[in-house]
Amino acid sequence: MTNRPRYAPLSPFAQARAHLLLCDGAAIPDDAFAPGHGLTDFPERWTVAGHALVMPQPFGAPSEQRFRSASHLLALLRHRLAAETMGLRIYAVGSEPFVWDVAKIAREAGMGREEMRLFACGAPERRVACVHCRTVNPGVTTTLVTCAGCGAVLTVRDHFSRVHNTWMGVQCDAEAPGEVPPVEDLCA
Amino acid sequence: MMDNHTLTLVVADAALIAPGLRRVHLRAADGARLPPAAPGAHITLSLPGADGARPLRNSYTLVSADPEHGYELIVRRADRSRGGSRHIHEALAPGDVIDATVPHNLFALHSQAKKHLLIGGGIGITPLLAFVARLRETGAPFELHQIASADEIGVFAALLAPRAGEQVHIHGGRTSLDLPALLAAQPLGTHVYTCGPAGLMDHVEAAAAGLGWPSSHVHREDFGAAGGEPFVLRLAASDIEIAVAGDQTMLEAIEAAGIDTPSLCRGGACGVCILPVRQGEPEHRDHFLSEAERAQGCHVMPCVSRSRSALLVLDI
Repeated sequence: MTNRPRYAPLSPFAQARAHLLLCDGAAIPDDAFAPGHGLTDFPERWTVAGHALVMPQPFGAPSEQRFRSASHLLALLRHRLAAETMGLRIYAVGSEPFVWDVAKIAREAGMGREEMRLFACGAPERRVACVHCRTVNPGVTTTLVTCAGCGAVLTVRDHFSRVHNTWMGVQCDAEAPGEVPPVEDLCA
Repeated sequence: MMDNHTLTLVVADAALIAPGLRRVHLRAADGARLPPAAPGAHITLSLPGADGARPLRNSYTLVSADPEHGYELIVRRADRSRGGSRHIHEALAPGDVIDATVPHNLFALHSQAKKHLLIGGGIGITPLLAFVARLRETGAPFELHQIASADEIGVFAALLAPRAGEQVHIHGGRTSLDLPALLAAQPLGTHVYTCGPAGLMDHVEAAAAGLGWPSSHVHREDFGAAGGEPFVLRLAASDIEIAVAGDQTMLEAIEAAGIDTPSLCRGGACGVCILPVRQGEPEHRDHFLSEAERAQGCHVMPCVSRSRSALLVLDI
């Protein structure tokens, strides 16, 4: 059993007052967009530049805005949505942790699933929450990980929390102490 | 058949509160506690029809519902009453016993909403009165815009007086409210609830959709778009033909013929009364079937929908 999210390629909602595309700065693969659609369908784009020399630009007409980091982008997104009115649609493309961070901020601003579209791409990378000590371990790429909080060796279960934006990590030998399963790559 | 529990209620009080508007208090006939109901709920009353004809079942929104103190309704006398509102206005008296369904709610407040925008037209204010009472209790952000004809502004101002405040606005006539501007100014996470004439509710829906509101944030409550051309209904499985009169719904005609069929809201919203169509062209007036389902023409909601063809054949 898995509740692994599945992502549909992006296309703009047919009826909306405004559209905002959020990108985490990694190269966007062609298959992130539905056939016949692409970046030009989203004139207002916010992108993570990952660079300290990014200068703030005046907000005004829809345009591309660049941000120093994902945290920078998400903080300003929260601010923007607090002042927005009904009819906005948002789209997020990038790593799975990034697109669900966007979804969480949108949800907290009152937006529902029917007002956003997400597309996760790039190499699988999971935030894993240790169910024993609540520590969130970012950037996990293997099926076993040592919890940075309590030191337990966790099995990364195929169970994703859309609210917490984390995968579930459970002590791997909880049932049979000492029986540690082999480590596998999450890409497999 | 009513596929739900029936309540036996007694009229505790009935008073004319304005020309054409009667407030009715109902309690349990045996003095027991009544089932609780959230704001937006309605009950369906069984009322004697005109001239002792077939009984009518009309749904009315609860303006307030308290298990101890009973249910409160406000009923407008319909100009072209099929007998229900006329009975409530002319004959209903304290002590009368009425059968009713337990409350059902197809128009509930959305708990996740950041703000509630209430738009009422005329007697469509009834569920909104219940909403305002609840929203004032919880402190949730809301705005109420009530549209009334010019000569009834005073009536609605009086109804809203106990709940007046800066969030409550009364407009004389539909043109005095700029709906697109109102809808365009709403923050993310707003839900709009509208109750009133179909034209007003269609206008709210269309304006919201045009501004990009998702349909999940737009809620409407409508009861009984009754009346139309008479037609003949053939029930294939029962092998009977029934004439549906112009002032009668298909569901009422089926019930009058003694056929048991489930129903709930009787307003085209809940989908409980859905029936399969074998032949003929339904005139869909419900809000339950999707466009695709309507195009297939395989099902019909007999509580509000009628027939475009002179004969409609149902598979029951």
